[in-house]
Amino acid sequence: MPSEGADRACPHCGAPVNVTLRVSDSGWIEQPPIRDMARIRFSRSTCQISGAYVPVAEMMLHDDDWVYFSHHALLHTDPTVRLANLPMKGGWNRMMAGMPLIMMRAEGPGHIAFSADKPGETLAVPLAPGWGVDVVEHRFLVATGNVGYTWQQANVWFTTQSGDEQETHYPLGMYMDRFGVTDGNGLLLLHAHGNTFIRDLRADQRILVQPSALVWKDQAVSMFLHFEYAGNASWLRSYDAKTTWLALQGPGRVAIKSVFERPEPVGPVYRASPNTRAAW
Amino acid sequence: MDRIECQWCKAHNEPGRTSCMTCGAPLDVKYRVSDSGWAEAPRLRDMTEFRFSNSTCQIEGEIVPVAELALGQGDAVFFEHQVMLWKEPNVPISLMNTGGGMKRLLGGMPFIVHFAQGPGRIALSRDVAGEVVVLPLHPSMEIDVREHAFLAATHSVTYSFVRIKGLANVLHGGSGMYMDRFVTQQWPGLLLLHGYGNVFQKTLQPGEKILVEPGGFLYKDSSVTMNAVKLNVKTGLMSAMYVAEMTGPGRVGIQSMYVHHGSEPETSGASVTSRRRGGWAVSGLGAVADIFLDE
Repeated sequence: MPSEGADRACPHCGAPVNVTLRVSDSGWIEQPPIRDMARIRFSRSTCQISGAYVPVAEMMLHDDDWVYFSHHALLHTDPTVRLANLPMKGGWNRMMAGMPLIMMRAEGPGHIAFSADKPGETLAVPLAPGWGVDVVEHRFLVATGNVGYTWQQANVWFTTQSGDEQETHYPLGMYMDRFGVTDGNGLLLLHAHGNTFIRDLRADQRILVQPSALVWKDQAVSMFLHFEYAGNASWLRSYDAKTTWLALQGPGRVAIKSVFERPEPVGPVYRASPNTRAAW
Repeated sequence: MDRIECQWCKAHNEPGRTSCMTCGAPLDVKYRVSDSGWAEAPRLRDMTEFRFSNSTCQIEGEIVPVAELALGQGDAVFFEHQVMLWKEPNVPISLMNTGGGMKRLLGGMPFIVHFAQGPGRIALSRDVAGEVVVLPLHPSMEIDVREHAFLAATHSVTYSFVRIKGLANVLHGGSGMYMDRFVTQQWPGLLLLHGYGNVFQKTLQPGEKILVEPGGFLYKDSSVTMNAVKLNVKTGLMSAMYVAEMTGPGRVGIQSMYVHHGSEPETSGASVTSRRRGGWAVSGLGAVADIFLDE
């Protein structure tokens, strides 16, 4: 049965085409949620997004097409779809870093569906040749076979000290996923908790965000820590009143989500990756 | 004028109604079915009301919906004790004797099932964002539901629990060792479930198979068989990957979100412990046990 969303969605990213983008006064663009049952086309296959709270990405894979995904994203599949491990290098490092250890590939023909485990939005990021994005770990849902995948150190960390004990914190996780295509167009699907907002930063334009709110960024966007100490606090309380920001600096696009981990007081910073500081 | 057939429960409604009087499903919107045949469970509108026996049920809210039951004289419902949100003081509550206490305890099933009797109002809700699924049961029906997913059932429904057959299921099926079973005899009944995230239903033809992530399983007709199937995919040195193979005929319901009991919470912050979802990342011990114990 034809669905309402089928005719009003961008075939490349699923975004509704008959709505005006909503932009906040400060310039954040609200990512338009993909409508229920909207279809995205890639190669000779389709991807249909269904559901509103925890959307499901259901793909109809053509014989010649394949996708890869982290194994915990699979919801259901036709028995005809061929599933196999996707060989990955550096598995030990990945395991130590808490990144998804098992990457799988699914080859058509047949239906296969993926979902995440938190209420939020499915984000479709069409990738053009030469364009790459860095994605925070655990946001990745599925990508088409022609999308290259590597990971790199996020290089965003700081160490706190309490007595003789030191603890190193990784606000973004130790690693970030990097996706890009060199040939043809690719499709990357992510899942973000809550609502998602996008901003295009000009060259050298800087914005401070909660580290765990970041979803993805253009490779050109640089990032570093920014420690901000509240004013009117005693010396002892100043550490508790410290805010740890992630500074994002353009040029390029960044995407954040409205659900993030509430930061807890972590004590004085002993060492840190490149950072800036401000005290009021 | 023609009566309106509800596409979800097939009940006939008076012309002009916008929601089904039997299950609350909207009657004025299209029934949404994905290309592969999964139908979305009807999204019940805020304050939707429907009837059963001498009572009514009103669904309130849309993120974590509340089922508010106005029980008529002689009507009763049963439910897990932890889903009770509020009730009128005059509604008597009693403990339902479910039997098999030790087995239930070992199986991780709800140990305390309460019974509320009308007249009066009582409201029930779960604790995770999702949907209330209303399943009107005709006489002589049997439905199996994953543990801790049922919200309430009317007193005409017989409640028991079944052990998932096959040791492979017990070891590797993400839905646990036991499932709730709801059976109607000569009278119809009503079953309310709470699915995490969005809920989808597919009707399998005889012999038709579908592979489902075990943690996504929500309910099935008892005519649908469920077995753990080992895939030719390795998840570690001594780990295997399993999915639930559902074979028709009958309905299968799945939920798009779940949290596996053994999983670590996701974090992108200070802890870099990975999240693991579902019942298919099996430990080495489970994989070895499978070799010796699988039926």
